[in-house]
Amino acid sequence: MNAFRQLVGIQARRTMREPAAVFFMLAFAPMFAVAMGLIFGNEPVAQFGGRGYLDANLVSFTAIIVVILGLIIVPVDILSQRDSGALRRFRATPLRPGTYVAADVLVRFVISLTSIVVMLAIGILAFGARPEGNLGSVLLVAALGVVVFLAVGYALAAVLPSQGVGQALGNILVFPLIFLSGAAVPLDVLPDDVRRVAQVSPLTQLVELLRGLWDGQPWSEQWVPVVVLLGLLAVAGVVASRFFRWE
Amino acid sequence: MSTAIRCEGVVKHYGPVRAVDGVSFEVQRGEIFGVIGPNGAGKTTLLECLEGLRSRDGGVVEVLGVDPEREVREVRRRTGVQLQSSALPSRITVGEALALFASFYERPADWRALLTRLGLEEKRDTLVEKLSGGQRQRVFVALALVNDPEVVFLDELTTGLDPQSRHAIWDLVRDLRDQGTTVLLTTHFMEEAERLCDRVAIVDHGTVVALGTVDDLVASIDAESRLTFSVDGRPPVEQLQAVTGVTRVEATGDRVVVHGNGSRFPQGVLGVLADQDLRMRDLRSDQPNLEDVFLTLTGHAMREGVVS
Repeated sequence: MNAFRQLVGIQARRTMREPAAVFFMLAFAPMFAVAMGLIFGNEPVAQFGGRGYLDANLVSFTAIIVVILGLIIVPVDILSQRDSGALRRFRATPLRPGTYVAADVLVRFVISLTSIVVMLAIGILAFGARPEGNLGSVLLVAALGVVVFLAVGYALAAVLPSQGVGQALGNILVFPLIFLSGAAVPLDVLPDDVRRVAQVSPLTQLVELLRGLWDGQPWSEQWVPVVVLLGLLAVAGVVASRFFRWE
Repeated sequence: MSTAIRCEGVVKHYGPVRAVDGVSFEVQRGEIFGVIGPNGAGKTTLLECLEGLRSRDGGVVEVLGVDPEREVREVRRRTGVQLQSSALPSRITVGEALALFASFYERPADWRALLTRLGLEEKRDTLVEKLSGGQRQRVFVALALVNDPEVVFLDELTTGLDPQSRHAIWDLVRDLRDQGTTVLLTTHFMEEAERLCDRVAIVDHGTVVALGTVDDLVASIDAESRLTFSVDGRPPVEQLQAVTGVTRVEATGDRVVVHGNGSRFPQGVLGVLADQDLRMRDLRSDQPNLEDVFLTLTGHAMREGVVS
């Protein structure tokens, strides 16, 4: 228990000491909401069925945070610690891998969710974005999204050979996934074929789920994205716990 | 004295390469035992088998009476490890690293006292990556001691350090031994082994080629010592050759090299010079050392690129 507490404290401080991590995990989402709010405002627009830009899009920015977290930040940090031998040094102690991973997950979960909550608060309080559904459900799904993509990050760290590969793969995948998810560009403007392909991406499913709940659709209509996300969580969790290694 | 570490016929191969090929020795409690040999001799692999970080392919290993592969946690709890290639997570301070590693053990040592002992108390709030090589190495030594271990494994402890840091770490290792800790270290520095180790095992190509105290090993090869000096005037070559133990005398101008066996002949040489009332300058004495032991036993030199 003492080891867990120490690890939580150290991971939190390590993260806050790295400018890139602070930016992407904490500051990026609120800044993105502010920028979009200043550029597009939240005046009613016909394109969004008489709602404002932020009303229609704010919640989907969540996907940008979680995909950067899961595909770049987590695997690159874990892989760089494995490459440098830092994880190997832990192996020479009685520390259990599960304790290490649990502490790391907790810290990253809290930071990322904080960032998402601040982003939503800015959109709602500063620009007047209004959810038509239940905000609690939206936050629940945001938390689920963070957990799913944290698991993906650990799964990638478990199977990829080095930090360089992790960095390259993350950078290659992140931008198409964001593009196809509808979080940055509305899917309506894309050709039908591209939209069909986009449905395969779990990130697109996360955006659909967040939007659906934000727009006030009932949970009963959301079973496809929920199943996709829980399925991905299960697969990534199994891969991560089976193949995670100190060296 | 009781046995702290016992290994018998330890084998580890990587594919067709037998990195460790039937190594046996015992380390007594409270001694500094050195596994020495050139780079690539299999020292680190052997050490990792003893630490329980690598599974062996054959043989018996007992550390503090238990098999480190079977009772991993018991061995982790009671031993300390300094790895040859080691690192800490980036962006943590010295104090954080010590507090973190202390939290992994039920009864840790007082890590603040440990930092003071290693001369790192002022570096407590410094990021580990900002330290000099010697300071960082001391941090890793501190981490190896943070659980107050009964046995500590030190792999290439002083490689890459400046002489001052090296001497400081040697002093620390002797202190540890004097307090009853068993130390097993690997090194490819013969000087380190000669100055620090109570006993050594010389390893080459995965096997132990010699085992014993440094003095005994050096005496066992029966190698010559050399005394080199200059004299004012003609060197008394014949009288020097007559000294007991002297095997050969070379004189070039006023420079003289006397070869001999045993530890007594230098005294005889000095006596001859005193009798002749000759003044001696630039005296140098070369004793056989572990390098010579290694060369004699294996037929090749310790260091790569050194032609024997």
